[in-house]
Amino acid sequence: MKTSRPSRAALAVVAAAALVAGSAAACSGEDDGTITLSVGLFGDFGFGPLYEEYSKLNPEIKFEERIAEFSDHHTNLTTHLATGSGAADIEAVEVGFVSQYTAQPDRFHNLLDLGADELEGQWLDWKWQQALSADGESLIGLGTDVGGMAMCYRTDLFEAAGLPTERDAVSALWAESWDDYVAVGHQYAEATDGAYFFESSGNMFRAMVEQAPEGVYDRDNELIVESNPAISEAWDLSVEAIEAGMSNRLGAWTPEWNAGFNEGTFATIICPAWMTSYIETNAPDASGLWDIATVPGGAGNMGGSHLVLPEQGDHPEEAYAFIEWLTAPEQQLKVFEATGNFPSTPSLYEDEALTGLTKAYFNEAPVGEIFTAAAQAVQPQYQGPLQGDVLATIGQGLGRIEDGSQTPEEAWAQVLNDLESFK
Amino acid sequence: MTSQDLAPTPVEPPADSRRSGRTALPGRPDRRARARMRALREQPGRLAYLTLVAVLFFSGFPIYYSVVVASRDNSALASIPPPVVPGANLIENVQRVFDTVPFGAALVNSLIVSGIVTVSVVFFSTLAGFAFAKLQFKGTKVLLLGVIATMMVPMQLGVIPLYMLMIELEWTDTLWAVIAPALVSAFGVFFMTQYLRGAMPGSLIESARMDGASTFRIFWQIVMPAARPAAVVLGVLTFLNSWNDYFWPLIVLSSPDTYTVQVALSTLSGGYVTDQSLVLTGTALATLPLLAVFALLGKYMISGIMQGAVKG
Amino acid sequence: MIQGRPGSSPGRPRRPVPDCESDPMTIAAKGKGAPVKTAPLLRYRLDLKASPYLYIAPFFALFAVFGIFPLAYTAWVSTHEWSLLSDERVFVGFGNYETLLTDPYFWNALGNTLSILLLATVPQLFAALFLAHLLTTRLRGQTFWRMGMLLPNVASVVAVAVIFSTMFGRDFGLINWVLESLGAGRIDWQTGKASSHVAIAVMIAWKWTGYNALIYLAAMQAVPREVYEAAHLDGASRLQQLFSVTVPMIRPTIVFTVIVSTIYGLQIFAEPQLFGGGGTNGITGGASRQFQTLTLYLYEHGFNRGFQFGYASAVAWTMFAVIVIVALLNYVFIRRIRSS
Repeated sequence: MKTSRPSRAALAVVAAAALVAGSAAACSGEDDGTITLSVGLFGDFGFGPLYEEYSKLNPEIKFEERIAEFSDHHTNLTTHLATGSGAADIEAVEVGFVSQYTAQPDRFHNLLDLGADELEGQWLDWKWQQALSADGESLIGLGTDVGGMAMCYRTDLFEAAGLPTERDAVSALWAESWDDYVAVGHQYAEATDGAYFFESSGNMFRAMVEQAPEGVYDRDNELIVESNPAISEAWDLSVEAIEAGMSNRLGAWTPEWNAGFNEGTFATIICPAWMTSYIETNAPDASGLWDIATVPGGAGNMGGSHLVLPEQGDHPEEAYAFIEWLTAPEQQLKVFEATGNFPSTPSLYEDEALTGLTKAYFNEAPVGEIFTAAAQAVQPQYQGPLQGDVLATIGQGLGRIEDGSQTPEEAWAQVLNDLESFK
Repeated sequence: MTSQDLAPTPVEPPADSRRSGRTALPGRPDRRARARMRALREQPGRLAYLTLVAVLFFSGFPIYYSVVVASRDNSALASIPPPVVPGANLIENVQRVFDTVPFGAALVNSLIVSGIVTVSVVFFSTLAGFAFAKLQFKGTKVLLLGVIATMMVPMQLGVIPLYMLMIELEWTDTLWAVIAPALVSAFGVFFMTQYLRGAMPGSLIESARMDGASTFRIFWQIVMPAARPAAVVLGVLTFLNSWNDYFWPLIVLSSPDTYTVQVALSTLSGGYVTDQSLVLTGTALATLPLLAVFALLGKYMISGIMQGAVKG
Repeated sequence: MIQGRPGSSPGRPRRPVPDCESDPMTIAAKGKGAPVKTAPLLRYRLDLKASPYLYIAPFFALFAVFGIFPLAYTAWVSTHEWSLLSDERVFVGFGNYETLLTDPYFWNALGNTLSILLLATVPQLFAALFLAHLLTTRLRGQTFWRMGMLLPNVASVVAVAVIFSTMFGRDFGLINWVLESLGAGRIDWQTGKASSHVAIAVMIAWKWTGYNALIYLAAMQAVPREVYEAAHLDGASRLQQLFSVTVPMIRPTIVFTVIVSTIYGLQIFAEPQLFGGGGTNGITGGASRQFQTLTLYLYEHGFNRGFQFGYASAVAWTMFAVIVIVALLNYVFIRRIRSS
């Protein structure tokens, strides 16, 4: 442990006292020269066959996968990093958490020292930068997948509202900007006597902020929520949509939200690549009713992960060699084919296997093409340490307007007030 | 009270202690007395049954409903009217759970942890509860308050220093890390103290002392049998809690061969999205062993409670 | 399962040693026909004096290691600005406590917690008492009914959360469906302060009523039948018996359940978190913090936003103070009832 711990002595005393009661030893033996790399993930990343393949190429390397639930995984990882023990050799970090870890690069092996410095061009520029520390001196992770955004919409509801249903025509409706998207929402509300246009305003707000050149932090890690014009524009537009009654007020992953896909309680939802498979499996009755258009504003990313190597791990070279291999285009393509997680390496974006992909559920929509374009168009945006929490706090402000407990002015004032404690 | 109810138990040789726990209970009334008491315990009316059926329906329905959901896909959760019979996906979901989770090993780990914790909590709680309730010693009040106070501290935060302690002990990633902190419980001690205060006549202990019984013998031959109804309840509750514990094991157990059932279930979660029907199938499967323990202990529980009823 | 093994206990049997004749001081055995005990007086005295401490020692010893150390540690941490995300720690004295006590969200959480506590605990304990009373009657299939009481406790938190958030759903929930069929309007359970508290209280009561009923039942079984006999002869009805005979007889157990329900009720965490949908709304207890409890507040600072271990430790200790105060009030209240 590098941290100074004044209480270490006390700890040792207590520990010794407890040891009197008995002791148990647990060691992962490495007596036969093999090395077991532990890999901590949230959910199944589809790495199973790749472990086998790698072990065939490198017989001395074996793997142990540890899977936990999304938020448990990140909470645990933070605990293990802070206490200096318990983390796996290789850990997955979702993009919403990565900036919190790049702020403490000492707790990870610097991949630039392990050979990643020569590979920069392999990833999308913004994906690479997400895992870079603020000073640019250390890289904590290599990118796996990205979540380029598209807009899913219900053709039946669009038709009933007298809107075009063909995807290019729908994309054209809001090709210019989010203002157009909200304008279509007004049109939709009028035609349907107030049916919901989207599931929740928080997502829309987030997508708009993601597309801006600067988000909630500047490069000095100062919060710029109050001064950034992109944020106030996004806020105002979201408020306009809320006041027009466009939001169905559904929290993500709730049972009601799930039901909405099948029942068609809302007409559009922002969907990254990974969400398309979710809709497909959770709204089987709505097959053929959902289609995919492009997202207003042209591009944006939602979700995606990096693989990091905690500093406490004992086998940095071996672990690095493995993740370099695992995140190479060849392997990312295999993962994509198995799980639908969209690759972060642009060299694949010319690959027919990727660009040619269509989905029958979405009326044969060319998802490969749509998501490739979306991923390529994303501009890098600096993410500060509490990025996810700041956005969530603003999202809650919108939530308070949605449920009628506050006026937009009150909600905004409270957001700014809440953010004071983030400094 | 009849005199026979308070008659002290002759202290028997230790060899017989096991049986004596069951048969030579203090103040076992004769058959006539029992019959009289039984007559006194009223025959429940129809309303009583109706109430119980209603209660059971409300307690059981959500459990049943989770099986219904487990056997369908996510979308079924919210259809109107809600589905009330299991769908067709159950077998498939069960198969998927077994494919994803090392269930057998996790089950064994959970049984070890919950078993040891339960035995230990029941034993130490009865021991301490006996001391607090029936023995005179300096500082009883303060120490008992100390026990109660320990329940008042929100433990969520204790996990970080506790984890650091486990690192120091080199117990992380072993079942010890989960078992050791749970070996005693303030809840159990307080529970047993309060129970024994009400249920153990002090005269019983006095007369045993007169007969020269040591404190431990009194504990073993008089208190333990008398504490039985409460011990069974405490045992079941402890086992349940230990089985469903999740927060701490998840942090401290990292390699799959040490996973308990609840930790293993965590591996069922999807990446960015969660298949709730799969998770519910997993949880349903994890409760099956609990139900088995229940069925097994059910008899003891009743006989335990009945034995308590006889004593006075 | 029920009987601990004596060998594993530090309180080994201290049997009187019969063959120890060298010691002249022996206790005179009084029992007629009882085996003559010749335990040395010293030993007897030691047994009498030391045994109680020996019996409570395991609890305190284990608690000292696994309970007190973490607590003392967090007390020390609470005087620091200390985030799990960085290696810097700054001593701030009582600064965290000051911030905490001036944070309106803390007071909001305290109010919510007390409100949910009252809503959940009071009806739950009365229902449990009544149920336990029913279970003492001569029911057919006693095992079945008794085991049935514990069913909600078998369910894991995850299952409970999914099921209840479905049932309390705004648009497709079973409860709103029933309400609407009855002509009452839909309720947006999560948005309203009162409605969210009720929903959470229902989840808690659902889980713990049967549990408390069993605890009462165990205590009721120990009430001598003769007492009832007397009451019966006095012409007391079943319900009168419950309040005039049973309740006074099992008072220690009632004190126990009230105090324990209060203590644990003030620490409710999983129910509101899962009711809020798990994400940010779960941690803050809704967009307006309408159902954020103290433990959620602790969690928000300690394990979420910035992992502020120091601040969260201050929250934990403040919570401890709150719980002590409420438990004391409770105790005084119960004593009042007893004396009146």
